[in-house]
Amino acid sequence: MTGRIRIDGQSIPFADGQTVMQAASGAGVFIPHLCYHPDYAANGSCKLCTCKIDGKQVSSCTTRAVDGQVIESNTEELNSERRALSQMLFVEGSHHCPSCEHSGNCVLQSMAYKLGMTALMFPDFTAGRETDASHPDLLINRDRCIYCHLCVRASRDSDGKDIFSITGRSENKSLAINTDSGLLKDSGITVDDAAANVCPVGCIIKKRDGFSKPIGQRIYDNRPVHYNKIKQPSLPDLDREPGRKLRVATCSLAGCFGCHMSFLDIDERIVELTEHVEFDRSPINDIKTCSTQCDIGLIEGGVCNTENIETLREFRDNCRILIAVGACAISGGVPALRNNVDVRELLEESYVNAVGIDNPQIPTDAELPHILEEVSPIHEVVKVDFFLPGCPPPADAFWQILTDIVEGRQPDLPYDLMQFD
Amino acid sequence: MVAVADSLVHDQLAKYRRDPAFVLQMLRHLQLEQNIITSGDIHVLSESLNLPRAKINGLIDFYSFLHRRPRGRYDVYFSDSITDHMLGSREQANLLCELLGVELGQPSANGAVTVSLTSCTGLCERGPGVLVNGTAIDRMDDARTREMASLIEANTPLEDWPLEWFVINDALRKKGPLLRYEPTRGKALERAIAIGPEGVLKDLETSGLRGCGGAGFPTWRKWQICRSSNRRQRYVVCNADEGEPGTFKDRALLHGYADTLLEGMTACAITVGASKGFIYLRHEYEFLRERLQHRIQRHRDTNLLGRNILGHHGINFDVEIFMGAGSYVCGEESALIESLEGKRGIPRVRPPFPVTHGYKGKPTVVNNVETFCYAAGILEHGPDFLAHAGDQPGWKLLSICGDCKSPGIYEIPLGTPIRDVLEACGAHGTQAVQVGGPGGTLVSSAEFDRHISYADLNTAGSFIIFDESRDMLDVAVNFTHFFAHESCGFCTPCRVGTKLMVQMADKVADGHGARLDIEQMQRLNKLMTQASHCGLGQRAAVPILTTYEKFTDSFERRMEDVEYKPAFDVEAAIERSRQIVSEEALSR
Ligand SMILES: Cc1cc2nc3c(=O)[nH]c(=O)nc-3n(C[C@H](O)[C@H](O)[C@H](O)COP(=O)(O)O)c2cc1C
Ligand code: SF4
Ligand code: SF4
Repeated sequence: MTGRIRIDGQSIPFADGQTVMQAASGAGVFIPHLCYHPDYAANGSCKLCTCKIDGKQVSSCTTRAVDGQVIESNTEELNSERRALSQMLFVEGSHHCPSCEHSGNCVLQSMAYKLGMTALMFPDFTAGRETDASHPDLLINRDRCIYCHLCVRASRDSDGKDIFSITGRSENKSLAINTDSGLLKDSGITVDDAAANVCPVGCIIKKRDGFSKPIGQRIYDNRPVHYNKIKQPSLPDLDREPGRKLRVATCSLAGCFGCHMSFLDIDERIVELTEHVEFDRSPINDIKTCSTQCDIGLIEGGVCNTENIETLREFRDNCRILIAVGACAISGGVPALRNNVDVRELLEESYVNAVGIDNPQIPTDAELPHILEEVSPIHEVVKVDFFLPGCPPPADAFWQILTDIVEGRQPDLPYDLMQFD
Repeated sequence: MVAVADSLVHDQLAKYRRDPAFVLQMLRHLQLEQNIITSGDIHVLSESLNLPRAKINGLIDFYSFLHRRPRGRYDVYFSDSITDHMLGSREQANLLCELLGVELGQPSANGAVTVSLTSCTGLCERGPGVLVNGTAIDRMDDARTREMASLIEANTPLEDWPLEWFVINDALRKKGPLLRYEPTRGKALERAIAIGPEGVLKDLETSGLRGCGGAGFPTWRKWQICRSSNRRQRYVVCNADEGEPGTFKDRALLHGYADTLLEGMTACAITVGASKGFIYLRHEYEFLRERLQHRIQRHRDTNLLGRNILGHHGINFDVEIFMGAGSYVCGEESALIESLEGKRGIPRVRPPFPVTHGYKGKPTVVNNVETFCYAAGILEHGPDFLAHAGDQPGWKLLSICGDCKSPGIYEIPLGTPIRDVLEACGAHGTQAVQVGGPGGTLVSSAEFDRHISYADLNTAGSFIIFDESRDMLDVAVNFTHFFAHESCGFCTPCRVGTKLMVQMADKVADGHGARLDIEQMQRLNKLMTQASHCGLGQRAAVPILTTYEKFTDSFERRMEDVEYKPAFDVEAAIERSRQIVSEEALSR
């Protein structure tokens, strides 16, 4: 059957046997997806391509186009579900972009940018599957697999080698290599195989290739996977009479001050900014406490000890809009790398075993803050209104959202200012 | 020793004619015989069946009862279903562990025993249920547990354990047309052959029979679609996976009504033109297998199965039992077919449905045990078989368990209100009923006028009663864990969503939940309901949220902070630091 379907109000043709996804991409209409690939039979597992077809939500990659179908795809409802699916894939695996070789070339990451995913919102899973570095040219980091089956299909259908399969069930799933040893080196895969190039994330990656291109020149740095415009969450009202300067407070919890440094990279624009804002508590002016009526609080860093919690609660109590700035505040970031190390080991490493310590002992002074068992993102401790991603976020991103707020607009990050690394 | 094990694999390969579709059967047998599937076994199977090793590993890791690490020589699983909990399964499991000095889920140092938990074993009305080396034992109590510990310690072979432990009776409490029906051997088949396929379909349609496995699809339609396909080879599959917690009516039918079932399947085969059938029997019902196999043989011996059935030339049909290996989602018909084909039980993309593209891509009727049994009754007695005084034709076998005086099987006419069911089984002080299993509907006492029917409370049979002493949040948490454990992991919303739901449900149950968590769960539920690939993921978040809606108190009682604030447990987060600091201070 051939005919026409209507997607987001646009009528497009389809050919006999085509799915909604195929018809849409044929007509240049982008439906977000991760596990679909035009060269292979549809898998239907990632569910990002879920559309409302004749009123019912179904995967568009496995649904046949039928004449007269009415399809909704680029709606806020569906996009927010897609955003949630991306968040789920991020927390399920170890997708810590700032330390990932594949960052900038990753389809999942680019999709998340375009879907306006600024924070993870769900707790991170820690899995710890085995890494396979046996192959001379390729490396497998199993904790990044999103089970899209693209390598499975590519190896079987394009390369004729049938090298990959997926094992386990539920949360215990894992990518497996179909060799007796279970190792990639014995599989006969080469860097030129379709299967070695199809992985949308940093699970199957090439050795000696990571970080070879500078930020700005990687595949998805400026060119998104697709062009749908997604709305950001809206902020609380500032209730501000015209002309009043906004009070901005900032602080760094468990962070490296890199976000603050990046903020200062707005350079001479800071002069322009101070015409509209005044700084309250901030390392920039060394004021140590928040005044009670701040408009915006910018928090860098994760929550690692009880002092961080007090500071954070003080900010929440005193700032109308609280913004989590950078990877550490948003997901724990670099400090969270300690999360699977026992607290005693941490303390001993710092106070007992470290080089050049005079009086090696764990301090027991009651005045000192306690360190938390894990470093947490700030939204697990207080309500956060907006997330500014990046490690650090670029100066232009600070500029963009602050000027947006100053001018009374809802802040909106364009694609090229969304970055996780 | 090695030689013995090696010959076991080769025996299995020979038994199943080296057909890779039966690899699951071979693996299951090896597991039951050796308590492990060894690397050597996998190697032999991989070579002989021309299957990559990783695919065999993939199967073993998918099914709960298959293992690549050694289990104890006595492999004990306590049912972790809510009804078993209510009857003390956790206490018994812990007691057994204590007596044997083992940890839950870990084999003992000497390799003698492993004690672990498993999803519902289907002994709900006579729990706590337990499986030992694949065989079911019911009604575990302190005395049984203590005796079991001694038997295991004395290394007593299972054959010498008290015989009465292995006798699983069925409590048939209220009989309707099906439970009263005693088939005259071959009569249903004779009539099916006499009235011909069109006549059979007509009778089924008139009777109003719909699928009893949950979805309620009209049975005559399913048979008709299969029959009218233009493919020559067709299959009939009986879904005896009965994995829904709280359901055990198929167990009773497979046990006491096997002849009826086989006639129903055969009538279906004659109608749709199939010559081969399978009974997909869940692993937990191993204790029913031998008897069922005998019945199949008797049907063959009396020409009710096999070639030229009842002397009718060209009417051929035979049935084979296929054992599951521990996976609830394999009850979903397309996952079941994947499993039958020797694969991981992952639901297929539908459409096409099994009835046009089923086993090995051929048209396949998949029906529930009960559906086939009713079909046999209708064919023997005519389309009025399901009639009763009420206005909705049809009957339903309910598996009633939980807090009531007389748990067991009740055959009730469709349209019966919950209130009447509760009265019939002697339930008092009932707080709520879970109808249709964890994925079904939680009915609170305010709604006991609702009735069992396709239009209102649809159920495959599960009917779990909770009296006022039960904490409904605990029930919901148990169901949430069940779904996470059983998710096949194919699609994102269910694989990740069920795990997140567990985290949040546990958080609330532990007293650290906040309004934010509830909102997060509601958002997740919407996504899981709308985007999951199969019924499991679509229903997995429902129990916890329905409980929140209908039993808000049981939630808020445990939410330390009901305000709109994230609940961060500072005390817990610094407990370790506090402990270290005080240890240090003391040591100085
Ligand atoms: C997760 C899941 C589990 C299921 N488990 C069973 C089961 O154990 N037994 C069963 O008969 N049907 C089960 N079903 C329903 C089957 O997919 C199918 O509808 C049924 O076998 C059809 O038979 P019927 O028409 O006779 O009801 C399940 C469905 C889902 C989604
Ligand atoms: S390794 Fe990559 S391509 Fe293969 S299933 Fe995982 S995410 Fe997909
Ligand atoms: S909903 Fe769950 S059980 Fe069903 S296919 Fe998806 S992951 Fe598997």
